[in-house]
Amino acid sequence: MTQEIDLSKLPPAEPYDKARDEAQRARLMKVWQTPTGWRRISAVNNSSVGKWYLLTSFAFFTFAGFLALLIRAQLAVPNNDLLSQGLYNQLFTLHGTAMMFLFAVPIFEAVAILILPEILGARDLPFPRLSAFGYWCFLIGGIFVCGSVFFGVAPDGGWFMYAPLSSDPDYSGLGADIWLLGLSFIEVSSIAAAVELIVGVLKSRPPGMRLNLIPLYCWYVLVVAGMILFAFPPLIAGDLLLEMERAFDWAFFDPDRGGDPLLWQHLFWIFGHPEVYIIFLPSIALIATILPTFAGRPMVGHSWIVLSAVGVAFLSFGLWVHHMFTTGLPEISLSFFSAASEAVSVPTGIQIFCFIATMLVSKVRRSVPMLFAGGALAIFVFGGLTGVMVALVPFDWQAHDSYFVVAHLHYTLIGGMLFPLFAGVHYWYPFVTQKKMSDKLGRWSFWLMFGGFNLTFLPMHWTGVMGMPRRVWTYDVTDGWAVLNMVSTVGAFIFAAGFVVLAVNVLWPRGKAPLVERNLWNAGTMEWSAEVPDKPWGVRSIPYIHTRYPLWEQKGLLGEMDRGEWFLPDAEEGKRELIITDILDARPLYVQRVGGPSYLTIGAAFCLGAVFILATFHLWTLTLLFGAGFAGFTLWWLWTGTAEIPEKSEKEAGRGLVLPTYAQGNSSPGWWAVFITMTGDMTAFMGLVFSYFFYWTALPDFLPGAAKLPGFGWLLLGLALLLAGWATGLLARERLARGGPAQAMALLLVGVPLGAAGVGAWCWAAWRAGLDATETSFDATVWVLILWLGLHLLLDAVMRLYVAARIWRGRCTPRYRADCVNLTLFTHFLALTAVVIFALLALFPMLMGVA
Amino acid sequence: MARSRDRKTVPPGDAPRVIDQGSVWILVAAPSIWAAHFLLSYWVAAIWCAKLGRGTSLAEPRWIIAGLGGLCIAAIIGLAVLAIRRYGGVFVIFEEITESSERARDRFVGHLALLLCVLSAVAILFTVIPGMVLGEC
Repeated sequence: MTQEIDLSKLPPAEPYDKARDEAQRARLMKVWQTPTGWRRISAVNNSSVGKWYLLTSFAFFTFAGFLALLIRAQLAVPNNDLLSQGLYNQLFTLHGTAMMFLFAVPIFEAVAILILPEILGARDLPFPRLSAFGYWCFLIGGIFVCGSVFFGVAPDGGWFMYAPLSSDPDYSGLGADIWLLGLSFIEVSSIAAAVELIVGVLKSRPPGMRLNLIPLYCWYVLVVAGMILFAFPPLIAGDLLLEMERAFDWAFFDPDRGGDPLLWQHLFWIFGHPEVYIIFLPSIALIATILPTFAGRPMVGHSWIVLSAVGVAFLSFGLWVHHMFTTGLPEISLSFFSAASEAVSVPTGIQIFCFIATMLVSKVRRSVPMLFAGGALAIFVFGGLTGVMVALVPFDWQAHDSYFVVAHLHYTLIGGMLFPLFAGVHYWYPFVTQKKMSDKLGRWSFWLMFGGFNLTFLPMHWTGVMGMPRRVWTYDVTDGWAVLNMVSTVGAFIFAAGFVVLAVNVLWPRGKAPLVERNLWNAGTMEWSAEVPDKPWGVRSIPYIHTRYPLWEQKGLLGEMDRGEWFLPDAEEGKRELIITDILDARPLYVQRVGGPSYLTIGAAFCLGAVFILATFHLWTLTLLFGAGFAGFTLWWLWTGTAEIPEKSEKEAGRGLVLPTYAQGNSSPGWWAVFITMTGDMTAFMGLVFSYFFYWTALPDFLPGAAKLPGFGWLLLGLALLLAGWATGLLARERLARGGPAQAMALLLVGVPLGAAGVGAWCWAAWRAGLDATETSFDATVWVLILWLGLHLLLDAVMRLYVAARIWRGRCTPRYRADCVNLTLFTHFLALTAVVIFALLALFPMLMGVA
Repeated sequence: MARSRDRKTVPPGDAPRVIDQGSVWILVAAPSIWAAHFLLSYWVAAIWCAKLGRGTSLAEPRWIIAGLGGLCIAAIIGLAVLAIRRYGGVFVIFEEITESSERARDRFVGHLALLLCVLSAVAILFTVIPGMVLGEC
C-alpha cells in the first residue's frame, strides 16, 4: 500500500461566517471573471471557449447540411443540371470534409471543454489557454476550408482525397492544397484538445475520485482523446507526403517513379477508421451520462461500459483495410480486417446492452433528451447491422462505393453521433444557459428529424443495391432510381426542417424566462452542482468525492461546497488555481496556477493560420515571416504564463491540507502534456516508418544498389553527434538540479550546433549518394525522414535557447526547473527518432544484403 | 490524517508504477497483445504474399499466425492470473466496486483487466480464423 492522505478524516470545516463567505466569493469572482465587451474574445474560461466551440461547430454543421440539401436537390430528378458537375464534386467533397473535420470531431472537443471540468468538480481544464488557442485555430482553418467554395476552388476529390487524383496538380487544382493544409491546421487544434483532455481526466480530478469512481463520461473522453493521439498523426504524415508531392514533385504516389497511390489509402484509413469511433464514442458517452439521470439509478454494468470503450478503442485500429476491400490486396489480408470488423461489434454491442438493461431495471422518466437517446439507439443499431454486412468481404465487393454504403455510414453517424448529441443539447442546455428549452418544440424537432432521416436514408439501401454509385452527378430515368431518389430528397428537406425547429429552440432569446431550479433533472453527476445563476469559477470550493454519483450519494455536498467548506475556497493571491491530483487515487498533489484572459493565444493562432494559408498559395517569404510571428507569440505566451516561480512554495488549500504551489517532472501537468504530445508526434513518425516498409513490401526494387545508399560512415557520425546533443540535454538537467545554472546553460547551448552538425552529416550522406527526392520513392523517403528530423531539431534549438534564457533570467532555477525537465523529455523522443531513422537508412539495407 | 504546517507536507510521489501493484498498465496490456498479434499476422501474410506472389501456399504463415496466437493467448492468460491474484479481479456481470479505498480501486482495475483479457483473447481467435481457412495468397 502506498502512502495515503485519508481525505475522509480531515478536520471539520470552520463554522460558517457570512462575511468571510462573501469576501471569498468576491475575490473568486474578481479572479475568474470573464472580460466583457469586445475584450471577451480574450477569454480562456472553459465555459466561454466551450460555448464558442459548440456554436462554431454547429455553424459548420449548418453549412455542410446546406451543401447536403443542394446535393439532394441535384439528385431529385433524372438528368438534372441544377448544379454543374464540377460544382457538384466540390459540394460532396466539402460536405463530407466539413461534417467530419469541422463538426463531428470538434463538437466532441467542444462538449468536453464545456462540461468535463464541471463533471470533474474542477474550476477549469489544466491548460485553458491551450483550449483557446485550439479554438482559434479551428475557427480560422474552418473558415478557410469552407470559404473556398465561394471562389470555386473548394477541394473536389472526395473527402478521402485519393491519390493519384489528388497528387497530380493537373487533375486537382488548388482545392487539394486547401484540403491538405487547411485540415492539417485543424488537426493541430484536435491534438491540442486531446492533450488538454487527457491531462484533464488523469490529473485534474477532484480529490478522492479514484479510478473506480470516475464517471463514465470521463472514461470515454480519456479513451477518445487517446485515440485522437494515435489516429490523427498518421494522416498528418500522409498530408506531409502528399503536399510534398504536389508542391515539390517528390515521388511518393507516382507509380512511374516507384511510388504507390495505395500508400495514401493506408495512411488515410489508419486515421479514417478510428475516426469513426472517435466520433461515435463521445456521443455514446452523452447517452451513458444522460441515461442514469432519467432512469434514476446508476448505470448497470458500469465496468462493462468502460470495457467496451477501451475495447472499441483498440479494435477500431484493426479495421482500416475494410475501406480497401476492392483494392486487390491478398484475400488473407482482407480476411484479417474482416475478422476485426466483426470482432469490434462485440464491445459495441455490450454497451448497447448495458443501456437496455439499465432501462429495463428502472422506470425511465419520459423527456426530450430520452426521446433523442432512444431514437439514436434505434438508428444506430440499424446502421450497426448493415455494418456487419459490409464487413464481410464478398458482400462489400457488391456494395462498395454504392449508395448502400452512403446509407450505412449515415445510419451509424447520425444514429451514433448526431442524435445523442441532440439529446445532449436538450439535456445540458439548462446547465449552460440556466433556462429550459421548449419541450413541445423539442418533440416536434425529434419527430421531424427522425422521420425525415429514415425517409432519406432507408431508400438509399435499395438505390445502392440497384447499382447507383455514390458521388454520381446525375442518372438517367432508365436506371430506375428516380422514385427512390425523389423520396430521399423529400426526406432530406423534412430532416432539415426538424433541424431548423431545433435551432430556433436553441437560439430563441429567453431573456425574461425564469431561471431553472438547481439540478433540475435530479442528476447524480457533478456538473449539476453549479449554482443558479451560474458563476464563472465553476465550483465554489473543490469537494472531496468518494462516490460515483456524488449528488445522489453524498448527502449535504452542495451545501458544503457552497459554504466554501472544501478545497481552495478562496483566491487570496489573486490567481486562478486548480488542484492537481494523482492518476490512480486522485490524491491531491499540488495547487496549479493557470493563465487568465490573453490575446497571445489569438495572435499565435492567427500567425499559424496564416502560415498554412500562405503555404497553400506557395507564398514562401510571407509564410516564413508569419512562422516567425507564430514562434514569437508562442514564446511570449510561454514566457509570461507557464512554469512561473510561485511567491511561496506551499499554501493552505483548506481543511488543513497544505499543498505545494509548484511541481516538476511527472507530477506536473506540463510534463504529461509534453509526454502526450510527443507520443502523438512519434505516431506521425511511425506513419513515415510505415511508408518505408510499405514501399519495401510492395515494390520489389525499392532499395537501390549499394552505390545509391547514403554512406554508412557519415550516417554513423551523424548519429553520434545527435546522441551527443541528447546527452548535453541530460547533463544540463543534472547540472541544474545540482545547482550549476551556468554549466546547464552552456550544455544546452552546445547541444544546438551538435544537432545541426548531426543532421548536416546525414544530409551530406544523402546528397553524396546522389539521392534526388523527385526521382524515386526511396530517395524521397530518405529525404523526408531527414527533413522530419531537421524540423524537430529546429524546434529543439528554439527550446534550448528558450530554457537557457529562462535560466539566465532566473525564471528556471535549480529548485524550480520544470522547463528544463520538460525539454529533456522532448530530447528523449528526439533521440529515439534519430536511432530509428539510422536503423532504416543504415542498418536495414545492410540486413537485406544491399549495402 | 490531516496535514499541518509543522509537519512538512510531501504529497505522495506519482512515479508510474510499471508492473507492481497499483499499476494501470495492466489495463492496456491485453489489448496491446491483441494489437501486436494482429499487426504481426497481417505483416507476415502481406510480406509473404507480396514477395512470393499470388497463388503461393500459406502453409508456413498459417502456423506462424496460429503459433503466435497461442503464445499471445498464453500471455493473456498470464495477465488474467495476475489480475485475479494480485489485484483481486473478479468476473462478474453486475459490478459494484464503488468503495472509496485503494483496495477497491485495485479490485476495479483487476476486474476491468480481466474483462479486457477475455475480449482480447476472443479477438485474437477471430484473427486466427482467416489464417486457418485460407489456403493460398
